[in-house]
Amino acid sequence: MNKQEFYQRLAEILDTEEVKPEDTLKQLDGWDSLAVLSVLALADSKYGASIKADEIRAVVTAADLANLVESKKK
Amino acid sequence: MKCVFKNKKISAVISVVPKEELRFDDEYPNYKLTEDKARRFKKMMSLDRHRIAPPEVCSSDLCQYGVEQLLAEGTIKKEEIGALLFISQTPDYFIPPTSNVLHGKLGLGLDVQCFDINQGCAGFPLGLMQAFMLLDLLPAGQKILLLNGDTCSKQLSNCNRISYPLAGDAGSVAIVERCAEENPIYMDVKHDGSRHTALMVPAGAYRMPSSPETMKLREKEEGVVQSLEHIHMDGPAVFNFTMSDIPAQIEDVLKFSGNTWESIQHYLLHQPNPFILKQMTEKMKLPPEKLPSNVVSIYGNCSSVSIPLNIALNCGDILLKESRRVLLSGFGTGLTWISMVMDLGPLQVCKIVDYQAAAK
Repeated sequence: MNKQEFYQRLAEILDTEEVKPEDTLKQLDGWDSLAVLSVLALADSKYGASIKADEIRAVVTAADLANLVESKKK
Repeated sequence: MKCVFKNKKISAVISVVPKEELRFDDEYPNYKLTEDKARRFKKMMSLDRHRIAPPEVCSSDLCQYGVEQLLAEGTIKKEEIGALLFISQTPDYFIPPTSNVLHGKLGLGLDVQCFDINQGCAGFPLGLMQAFMLLDLLPAGQKILLLNGDTCSKQLSNCNRISYPLAGDAGSVAIVERCAEENPIYMDVKHDGSRHTALMVPAGAYRMPSSPETMKLREKEEGVVQSLEHIHMDGPAVFNFTMSDIPAQIEDVLKFSGNTWESIQHYLLHQPNPFILKQMTEKMKLPPEKLPSNVVSIYGNCSSVSIPLNIALNCGDILLKESRRVLLSGFGTGLTWISMVMDLGPLQVCKIVDYQAAAK
């Protein structure tokens, strides 16, 4: 999985210039339940990764999220 | 559970919506959304407008209006009505059943059967299943009125910036009757109560009775203010449900009915929001024109009435003239999910009308 590409897509979802791996998601302005839904959709359609509700709730940083998606990738 | 019904058909479908239309552009200041966030949300969900019933209009009023239209137009005669099946999450009262209230208002005879069923977004196919079973008990010539009604806006806080703009209120009436043709109808009906907390109103009935505490508004996240008596949704859990269980069931019922993805002319699904429908369409590799997703942008998510609205909005003109092979799929609270394949039409009535309050 190309992580740079993933962070770029995440930035588009959050409507921001750039997302860095160390960024804490909850501190980003656009990180709300709609963003969570968009990330689930992205993971499913672009990476074939099905992520459970409690798994995404446990994620802290953007890097954690990228790792989670990568670990669930088919 | 898979089942097949024969010699049964839907002969008419009328949907009734409140006249009151709210536009997202006018409402968004209520939700404490920045203009940027409002724009993103609007684009993501293709939000435009939705219909909201005024406080004095209940689900049953919308259904009653639909029945009165069908009676006035001569689509059905009062003496042909054998049963009322009222499917809703927004009854008039806890006691008595709303179907009995409607029975009285419509002036029906003592042998006309009344049933209330508490179901949400799977309520149209679930009601059809019940109607098909009940038809076998009714005297020849008697028909069933399947009434689906939901005024979900009353179960939501208008300070919930995510759910309220997507909600819609509506009622529908379908006439279900026997027919001489075999007309096989294939269904798959599934329930998973272990996930019942994914979509629920936690308080206000008897597990957690209404109290000042349950009515207290709390902020769940920025712009999502609600009480325990409002609908609570576990978004990620519901998303995963729609993306995994529903496409799998649709594929399964296609096989069960001897159909292919191509042989179905219209995929008429419950419409929670255009975003999720787009994801489902991509997942099932269907051409978007075969799976309409336009109901929510015009009427809102109308729970069990979204399939009747979908039928009329997207196939109304065609179905008045001819039959089409359709797949209907309803999914939601319970969790319950039902997909069915049938040849629908020609229908005597297939339309959407605005509710007019009776003159007092």
